[in-house]
Amino acid sequence: MSAVLDRLGSPSLWRGVVAVAAVALIAYPVLYDDLFYQNMIILSLVFAIGAVGLNVIMGYGGYISLGQSAFIGLGAYTVGIATTKIGGDPFVWVPAAGVVAALFAALLGLIAMRTRGFAFVIITIAALFILQIVAINWDSLTNGTSGITPPLPRWDLDYQNWPFYYSLVVLLAASLALSWWIRRTKIGTGLLAIREDEDKAATIGIDTPVYKIIGFVASAVFLGMAGGIYGYYLAFIDPQGMFDIVISVQIILAVILGGRGTLWGPVLGAFLIESVNEYSNQELGGGNSRLLIFGGLLVLTILLLPKGIIPSVRDALERRARRGKAALVGARLADRRPLNGKPRVAPAQPPRTLLEVKGLEKSFQGVRAVAGGSFEVEEGTITGLIGPNGSGKTTVFNLIGGTMKPDAGEVWFDGRRIDRLSPWRRAYAGIGRTFQITRVFGGMTVLENVVAPLRSFSLAQLRAGAVSGEESARAERLLEFVGMAEYGDQPAQALSFGQRKLVELAQLMMLGPKLILLDEPAGGINPTLVARMADVIRELNEQGQTFLIVEHNMPLVLGLCDPILVLARGECICTGAPAEIQRDPRVLDAYLGEDFKLEEPVAAP
Amino acid sequence: MAAGASRGHHDSGSRHHKRMTEFIQQTAFGLLIGGVYALFASGLTLIFGVMKVINIAHGALLILGAFLTFTLWEQLGIDPLAAILITTPAMFALGWVLYMTMVRPLRSAPLSSTVLLTFGLALVLEAVMGLVWGNNSRSARPSYFDQSFDVAGIVLPKAQVFAFAIAILVLTLLFLFLARTWTGRAIRAASANTQGAALVGVDIARVSVLTFAVGVATVGAAGSMVSVLYPFLPGSHYIWIARVLSIIVLGGLGSLQGAAIGAVLLGLAEVYTQTYVSTEWATAVPYVLIFVVLFFRPQGLMGTRLREDVAV
Repeated sequence: MSAVLDRLGSPSLWRGVVAVAAVALIAYPVLYDDLFYQNMIILSLVFAIGAVGLNVIMGYGGYISLGQSAFIGLGAYTVGIATTKIGGDPFVWVPAAGVVAALFAALLGLIAMRTRGFAFVIITIAALFILQIVAINWDSLTNGTSGITPPLPRWDLDYQNWPFYYSLVVLLAASLALSWWIRRTKIGTGLLAIREDEDKAATIGIDTPVYKIIGFVASAVFLGMAGGIYGYYLAFIDPQGMFDIVISVQIILAVILGGRGTLWGPVLGAFLIESVNEYSNQELGGGNSRLLIFGGLLVLTILLLPKGIIPSVRDALERRARRGKAALVGARLADRRPLNGKPRVAPAQPPRTLLEVKGLEKSFQGVRAVAGGSFEVEEGTITGLIGPNGSGKTTVFNLIGGTMKPDAGEVWFDGRRIDRLSPWRRAYAGIGRTFQITRVFGGMTVLENVVAPLRSFSLAQLRAGAVSGEESARAERLLEFVGMAEYGDQPAQALSFGQRKLVELAQLMMLGPKLILLDEPAGGINPTLVARMADVIRELNEQGQTFLIVEHNMPLVLGLCDPILVLARGECICTGAPAEIQRDPRVLDAYLGEDFKLEEPVAAP
Repeated sequence: MAAGASRGHHDSGSRHHKRMTEFIQQTAFGLLIGGVYALFASGLTLIFGVMKVINIAHGALLILGAFLTFTLWEQLGIDPLAAILITTPAMFALGWVLYMTMVRPLRSAPLSSTVLLTFGLALVLEAVMGLVWGNNSRSARPSYFDQSFDVAGIVLPKAQVFAFAIAILVLTLLFLFLARTWTGRAIRAASANTQGAALVGVDIARVSVLTFAVGVATVGAAGSMVSVLYPFLPGSHYIWIARVLSIIVLGGLGSLQGAAIGAVLLGLAEVYTQTYVSTEWATAVPYVLIFVVLFFRPQGLMGTRLREDVAV
């Protein structure tokens, strides 16, 4: 029994299972002429094509669409209208169905993709019902509720439903290939990053709307074609049957039940869902029973099996395999390897201003968080930004990094005005930032996290492999530099808070930024790690890297930063070398308080 | 010649007068139905405020309230609007049970999970109503069903006037409850900052279940009104989902005032479309509003952001 369970973890076994299933699927109609089961498989294939597609935007990207049956309807109507109004064989129009579905997804994407979370769900529901209303009311084109009857198939009856069957098999294969390819390219890592943390994704150079639109179009194109074939197969295309929200639910269920984010899960889910569908239609008479079963199944799956079958089984097998082994993440800190990097760049004479902030203002519902802050960061410095809690430090970071847009004022970086640019454009310009609370992409491995950043945007780059040779070598060098090389394959969510901070720093270095913004690099981590963090920062700075650091650990700031900017009540009240800051009465008054006693600065090693 | 011109003038004047009367008439209809919409949407926005759950089953719960009212009226002869006194506590209890069995286990799950869960619940409710009451269109018809008040040539159907008055009354009670009672203040505190409220001693678990139950109770009350105002069947809940979603998109989430304004705007948009465009396309109004608002005013009319790229 135990041996059998061990074998279950072997990838070759599963490759074998998939191969056998594929052969069985292809051979079935030739070997058996049972039309009942052929019909079931044909419907399963339509569900599977929908589920594999939906998985791209929902499983990888984290955006749920309740409107997937809109693409079935669009495809079916495209084929139905084209064959009845223009003529030709319905199969000829199937590619056009894909194009129409893709265009509609892109259009919807343009509106929806700048929204977050539930606004997207709302838009997809609205789109589905609007299309249904159009199909009902635009009589001259769609024949209203009477529907369209496509011509009957003209092939020999001996071939049964083979043309439907095999064209859907081909579409399913194409969907799987697309899903597989996306997961292995920059589009896939970008979508995963969006699912894990969309704001953060934008700050490391991911142009989030473009990724989401690509993901949504990918989820629609083959489903549109399948819809065309489906309408032809049913021989009746009407608004109720085609734009059916229950089909949307079934497609979602297939993805969740099989396992979102996995390649094969949606296919498994689809065949299971169609079996249930057939049972509820044949045995229970469809209608209310079908609604009850699928509504109930959706509720139960989300409550009891939210991860789905394939991920649950995989987790169980991994737990088994790991039993008795100590976790790597609990290990002592690994040694760090210095970057044998560039020689120290001599600072330009006179020192060049890299970042300039002029009269920055930002209010939150009347509260002025930043009120006319102005300061500069010179190239090659480690500039510290200190100030009491609520003085606007993190808001300033958000305004520089682009997570927020200022109400007034300007931000200039490297000779360019950047305050209206999106976060990813600022990342391309050379700004990298960390967050106060670490925001690694928990569901991705450490190595995937480090290679996720993009230094520029190009369509060609999207096709590049997610973890290509040169990039991965560079990422591994950076992980060695922060002392996290052994953790490359670990899921980032397994790391400790301090380890995440080091991984975030390596991730940032991947951008090759000119300026690094660190928000409390020493916050909430143990003294050994604080020392390591200081070493890493100092070493990078010696190679010419500029930093702007928000930090509350005064000994660290005084030992590491020069100059130091002091922010109070949203304004920059003074700036100078650590020694000057310590003596400045305004700083003592605004920040340290009268009874403040100086601690010894952390000495440079 | 002169007489002809004068008659022409007279005709256009009366046409103009007729158009004005019709416009005022439709505006009155829109405002009356807007009051009921406001009550309908208040429960959803209340629930979202405290637990950040978009309850897609809201429309199905409304139809359930309507069916319960219909049965009370048909079987026992209870006036549909008076039935509110029965449907509201019954739906409050149902809300309590639904929260404990379904929503509570998903407290920390992402918003998308609860959207799917409540959508599943909506389908279950639709199916159950279909099995119990059948899939035929129903409508409660009390004695005043086809009577109306006539105010200066403007027709105000009694059912709509009564429903509007009760909706305003219930909304006022809800508002006073939130503003004046300790529990109400706890709900508002939890809505503004859940963790902060917990820290100062608000029992979030209790507040959550109470809010959910109150939200479902208000939609039960709205359901009683709908049983008189519209013919309904189990599948009607989709159009009500569309309406509530467009109301919150218009008015912003989590604010009762916003929901009220969104509700009135939707009511007006629907009656104007019905009168001046076509009845068929009136069903598309909520969906079109969703698109238009998200495209042009992503922050909603009352400030709550739905699109995150603008003015973070």
